[in-house]
Amino acid sequence: LTCPVVCNFETHEYIAVHDDKVLRIWKNEDINLDKAFKATLSADVYRIHSLPNGGPVVLFKGGGVRTLDVLLEAPQQEIENVISDEVIRYIPVLILLSAFTAFCSFWMFFCHILSKFFSTKTHCERGFFFLSGSNDSVYQVLIPLQQDTEEEEAEKEEEILSRSLLLNLSVSGSVLKGTSLVVLDKDHVAVLGSLAAPGKEPRECLTIWNTKFQTLQTSKELPLGTTGQLWCYEEKFFLTHGKVLTVIMYKCETSSLAAAVGKLKDSQTPGKNLFYNYSEKILAVLKPVPCVSELHSICLFQDASTYVLESELRQLMAKAPTPDLQATIGCVVTALTDRCKTNPKYYPKNFLLQIVETRDLSYSLCPDLMAVALEKKDVQLLQICLQRFPDIPEEITYACLEAFLSISEAHLQSEDVNLDSVICYIDVEFDNKEVKTEIVENGFNAEMDQDMCDTKIPKKTQSRSDGESCPVGPQKAALLNAVLHSAYTETFLLPHLKNLPAQQAILFLRYLYYLYVKCSEKVNTTLPGIRSPTINQIMDWMCLLLDAHFTVIVMLPEAKELLASLHKFVRAQVRFYSELNKIEGSLQELQRLNHLRDSQTYSIEVLEII
Amino acid sequence: STTWHPPPEVTRIMVNHRVEKAKRECVVWAIALLSSGTVVSADSFGRVQFWDWQQGTLAESHTVSSSAALSLAVSEKEDSIVVGTSTGATYQLQLLPVKLGGLEKRWVRTKPFQYHSHDVRAVAHSPSALISGGTTLVIRPLMEKVQKKGYDAVLRKFTFPHRRLVSCARKARLLLFQFSQHLELWRLGSTEETGKDGEVLPLCRMPEHLVQLKSKGPEHIYCSCVSPCGTWLGYSTASRFHLYRVRCDGDGVSLRKVPKVPKLLPPAYQLQFSADSDSLFVASARGSVHVLQLLEPGGCKLLHIACGCSEAVYLLAPSADGHWLAAVSGDWAIHVYNLKCFKHHCVVPTYNCAVSALAIHPSTNNLVIAYSDQQLVEFSIPEKQYTGWSRALQSRGLHRAWLERDSPITHITFNPKNPAHILLHDTYLLCVLDKSLPLPDDSTLLMNQSTLKQLPETARKRQLHAFKICKKFQPLLFMDLLDENCLVVVERPIMDFKTQLPMPVQQKKFGT
Repeated sequence: LTCPVVCNFETHEYIAVHDDKVLRIWKNEDINLDKAFKATLSADVYRIHSLPNGGPVVLFKGGGVRTLDVLLEAPQQEIENVISDEVIRYIPVLILLSAFTAFCSFWMFFCHILSKFFSTKTHCERGFFFLSGSNDSVYQVLIPLQQDTEEEEAEKEEEILSRSLLLNLSVSGSVLKGTSLVVLDKDHVAVLGSLAAPGKEPRECLTIWNTKFQTLQTSKELPLGTTGQLWCYEEKFFLTHGKVLTVIMYKCETSSLAAAVGKLKDSQTPGKNLFYNYSEKILAVLKPVPCVSELHSICLFQDASTYVLESELRQLMAKAPTPDLQATIGCVVTALTDRCKTNPKYYPKNFLLQIVETRDLSYSLCPDLMAVALEKKDVQLLQICLQRFPDIPEEITYACLEAFLSISEAHLQSEDVNLDSVICYIDVEFDNKEVKTEIVENGFNAEMDQDMCDTKIPKKTQSRSDGESCPVGPQKAALLNAVLHSAYTETFLLPHLKNLPAQQAILFLRYLYYLYVKCSEKVNTTLPGIRSPTINQIMDWMCLLLDAHFTVIVMLPEAKELLASLHKFVRAQVRFYSELNKIEGSLQELQRLNHLRDSQTYSIEVLEII
Repeated sequence: STTWHPPPEVTRIMVNHRVEKAKRECVVWAIALLSSGTVVSADSFGRVQFWDWQQGTLAESHTVSSSAALSLAVSEKEDSIVVGTSTGATYQLQLLPVKLGGLEKRWVRTKPFQYHSHDVRAVAHSPSALISGGTTLVIRPLMEKVQKKGYDAVLRKFTFPHRRLVSCARKARLLLFQFSQHLELWRLGSTEETGKDGEVLPLCRMPEHLVQLKSKGPEHIYCSCVSPCGTWLGYSTASRFHLYRVRCDGDGVSLRKVPKVPKLLPPAYQLQFSADSDSLFVASARGSVHVLQLLEPGGCKLLHIACGCSEAVYLLAPSADGHWLAAVSGDWAIHVYNLKCFKHHCVVPTYNCAVSALAIHPSTNNLVIAYSDQQLVEFSIPEKQYTGWSRALQSRGLHRAWLERDSPITHITFNPKNPAHILLHDTYLLCVLDKSLPLPDDSTLLMNQSTLKQLPETARKRQLHAFKICKKFQPLLFMDLLDENCLVVVERPIMDFKTQLPMPVQQKKFGT
């Protein structure tokens, strides 16, 4: 597709263009685009615009405009080239200004080109254009847009449209070179452009102007640069800022002189800024642009004493969560991690834990946090990050995995790791063995399959690798579960996973095998507990690990045993399930026969409710 | 709506005449009248027939089943009919256009459902679901009428009525079981041993079937109750109310009918003895509560009639101190009466859901109410307002898993030794609600008892929450607390009575 798809509100059809020239039209019920109506045009289409109370209008790259109806009558008709030397840089935006008068509705076309390229037939009675002309001023061009007869239209094509200067885009000496323009209402326009003051670097900024009083209402600097495009939809600006799609809410109030000269506060200052990160996989990641006052405190985080810093942080944390504060906290975390990097002795573990636990942060909001935590071997923080961040890069996920596998169990004993994910299934050595009353509902017996196995396996190793006891301690298991739970893309993870030392890979595989056996013990193949890994996650990681280390694992003698028993277990599971299917049929028959329940009709039992 | 023609003329429709050759006689089990003047009949030949009301002629006939069609219900729009049959199958007939977009419409048998093993005696058609009743009650949502997949789009099956069929004499340790046409009084067994969780203890005294009381006549028993001391027993049928004096002398038990029971307007929907067994409360279908004083050695007199409810009273809850009585009427209003001065005390703020159980706390006189949508509230009778805990529960909201249960709470009781405990049960679980513990949120496991049991004592504390749920006994008909550490639970395995049911339809099968 070469331009955005639009909807024809009159016929409820959708119109798309692909390969610049091929027009496609389909309706809601059509499923296959290849079978949709197709028309090849003679010129390249730039955009299609849908008018709420008229048919769609097609704008060609050469500047020509046709309504869709006219175009469909003769798709191959010649389209004139109105502009030859200029390329359309600005997307004409059509906005219905119904509030302007009670009788007329207006379509406004905005464009960078000052020429006469409109030969459009619209259903409007009268209209005018705003044109951001020579980049530093806005002109208003009035053109009549009656439903004309053919002759009149021919005349009009010859007509040179008059223009009137509407607005000068200059801010105290510096000139705004506008790149995009959006009309907000009859008195307000938003201009995105770069502000060039003599002797200074041009700065890109978004400005809102009052055309009635020729005043700049508000402006917002965009230091990371934009693509020069500005969209506006439902009182929100959409623009790219650096690598981030920024959404800015605004509100225009009826213009009054007081508002224009700034006597009325809060009339149309850009409201909340929402930042959407589209460079990462996951949307809705907040990026920080803190308020100026808060920037001051961020500087503080970099060099204030621990005490001052902590009290400052407490104040910040006590504030009600707003998107702005969210961004600020992201900055604070970054500032703290920067400080950790420069001062190796400094590490505010509890604060970082508290922030990550209470705020919905993301990896992209504080990219260095996990790296610092890895360096400090702060497994507790890493676990929480893995559980809470939706956008951890595979590289970091892998680094966590390697760190977790390499940390000694003795060291982990002293760490306060959250064991929620393992507590329900792991074999913890309790004093009272009888407490574990859970019935193994789907008890597969490995010995059942003994005679089928070709490889001779020493009895001792089998019982160990059979998943009877967990190969890692509960703390390590909980950490590994956090890794299993994090999102990843196989292709990105695989190259990192290849770097995992063989011994660690075997340990991890052994743990995965243990989990798999544990899962299979339950009828519903799910492990109990909060955030415990699902069977799909276990299988995916197992496959991935085997893919990454296939050659190594095949060579290692101890891995061979593990692989053999794994293979045997999987094969037995397959056989087991096929047998289950047969049993299911028999059971259904038995159920119909309704045997009397052979249970005690009266008993006194001990029931413990905790 | 249907209007009858002014001259009372009788049109006789001979349903049987087309199958005269058949030796069996045709029985019409159900009819429905459509506003167009069409009579719909369901008969023992498994046919659903449409007749012209005035001419008496047959318009359409559909044989939906090879066995009898027993029940019939028409949707409000009259474009869909549900038919119940004796094989347990239900069928939907829909009025559909003959051609797509055409005007001519015909009745077409569209969907068969098989949710019952035996007769479907009653069916109902709600705007979005088919409801059928036989040995079980099934609500089958019509998927085309359900907007989104969710709680409402789930098939629901109810095996037991949502009312109490067992009553317990706490002090005397007796249980009274209510069957459709008789009552059984049992004395509970006992043990002298103790043990660990899950252990079955040896009995030192076996349970004893004391008495079986058959109700006279064909009427079903509506409600029954045994007094806490175990010396009074009452039950009501559709037309009569009976009160008995139970005497245990040694091993023998004798029942003596109380003569000259005050004339009450039957039927009684609920009977409830006071905690001291001095009086009996009878909830009447006319919206009043009769307070009878029980007299030694075996008599009674009418003490008071508490009025105020506009519809039939179906649930009663007296307070342990004999001061208060809460009564729920059919319009879901809960009236609280002061029994000391026989005055109407207050009405609990109405909630747009049926009350499924209620009870008054013995020490605080807080009224705990369970609604059929699984909401729980606690209302202070002396202060005439919801308690702080109840408000906290409402603002916090109940756990999702709790709210999405199918069966309503049918009984509430309290632990006299621990005022913070509220014991509740439905058909599938019993719950000790500990008000002193934090409420669970949706992210925590609601039924965490088995998890807790696996944890060491020290680690349990972090995981504890207010809802201590035990699902060991299913289907659970009744649960009551006899004393501080003795809980009586009545289970009714579905298989027990399913095996006693005859085959739904005698059918000859090849090879059998």
